[in-house]
Amino acid sequence: MKILIVDDSSTMRRIIGNVVMQLGVSRDDFDEAEDGVQAWKLLQDKAYDIVLTDWNMPNMNGLELVQKIRGEGSNHRGVPIIMITTEGGKGEVITALKAGVNNYIVKPFSADILKEKLDGIFKK
Amino acid sequence: MSMTQEEIEALMNGIDAADETPPAEEEEVSTETMSEDDIESLIAQTQSTEETDQQDPAAEEESVDDILASFENEESAASVEAEEENIDDILAGIEGVVDDTPSEQPQSEENIDDILAGIEGVVDNTSSEEAEKTKEDIDHEAIGRDWTDKQIEEGVFPLPVEKNTKVVGQLSEVASDSEEKATKIFDVLSYILDENNEVQKNAKALDDFVQKQTVLLDSLSKKFPNIEVFKANLELAQSLGDSAKSISSRVDAENVQLFEAMELMQFHDINRQKIERVMSVIRKLSDYLNGLFEDDGSHANISVAKHIHGDESMELVGNEDLDALIAEFGN
Repeated sequence: MKILIVDDSSTMRRIIGNVVMQLGVSRDDFDEAEDGVQAWKLLQDKAYDIVLTDWNMPNMNGLELVQKIRGEGSNHRGVPIIMITTEGGKGEVITALKAGVNNYIVKPFSADILKEKLDGIFKK
Repeated sequence: MSMTQEEIEALMNGIDAADETPPAEEEEVSTETMSEDDIESLIAQTQSTEETDQQDPAAEEESVDDILASFENEESAASVEAEEENIDDILAGIEGVVDDTPSEQPQSEENIDDILAGIEGVVDNTSSEEAEKTKEDIDHEAIGRDWTDKQIEEGVFPLPVEKNTKVVGQLSEVASDSEEKATKIFDVLSYILDENNEVQKNAKALDDFVQKQTVLLDSLSKKFPNIEVFKANLELAQSLGDSAKSISSRVDAENVQLFEAMELMQFHDINRQKIERVMSVIRKLSDYLNGLFEDDGSHANISVAKHIHGDESMELVGNEDLDALIAEFGN
């Protein structure tokens, strides 16, 4: 199980990484990127089973990353994506869902919510 | 318009949630930086008023004590009077007792006067206190005004445009600095978590060993019931086994707390984003104001008059001074 965590906050990446490790994923099985550009580069080199991405990031934001992953010619169109963001507006959620995210978590979140959403995706 | 996790779930399921929770209100607290000297001087200025403030309650307490004391005197005098009126009849013939009564009546009247005077005193005290409080308020305002005027005159306020006073720069510094510190806090929490895992491993190894020893000692104590040392060691091993389990469960509980602390650190990211939002507003406002005040750029440097008629300045010369100056130079 390979996971890509994309967030410009190193603290958030570690929090998410901790939750993922609690689910039994080893530290070697997830990578971190601090923006969409870095995440896209990693996606060119490696296949991931799931992408957990923030929305507001410099250089390339999470929504642009989702659109790129789901775009024509992408090799990762089928990879599940969970957006973890402070954007809690209804409009933003709809925009993200339209762009192709599989699930959406608003910060602050509990480890249980992330576990639940990850479980849901892993079971599929 | 923020959405709850349930509403998001509803959206994920294609159900449009009708109710929307109102966005949480954000509190913004403005802070001003003051130097230690400024604070000290402000404290020194306010201390004198505080001292007078502390003296007033003492005076008030004294007057209240007077009233209470006079009330007590009054009550005791009245009760003594009532009792003594009855006793007077009985003890009419006894010398000395009856003679005291007439002398007490004027005393009680005096007490009433004292009480009234005390009450008047209280009323007067209250009004004078109010006046003093108003005076203090005015004094505080005056102190604050004087202090501010002084700071402005000295050029402390408004803050000069320097690296340390640029608002966006400062906010950016706060955001990045707190990010750095949050990472360090996370390092500490992770270290404790790792150490706890090691403690748990050791506790488990200890527990495994103790369990084996317990089984061994149990069989030995059964085979040799007369040897007390087996029985005693069996009890000790069982006790150690319980301790090992207790360590493990305590570490588990501690880990739960650590994970909770880690979860709470999400607020660092949320607060950073709030700061970034404020920075964005300030930048836009700055651009707008720059645009508002800038001219077309084709201006020549205009020479600006230093002293103009109507200015309140000692440097202005009157007609007489002007003539005198011209005459003095003899040009």
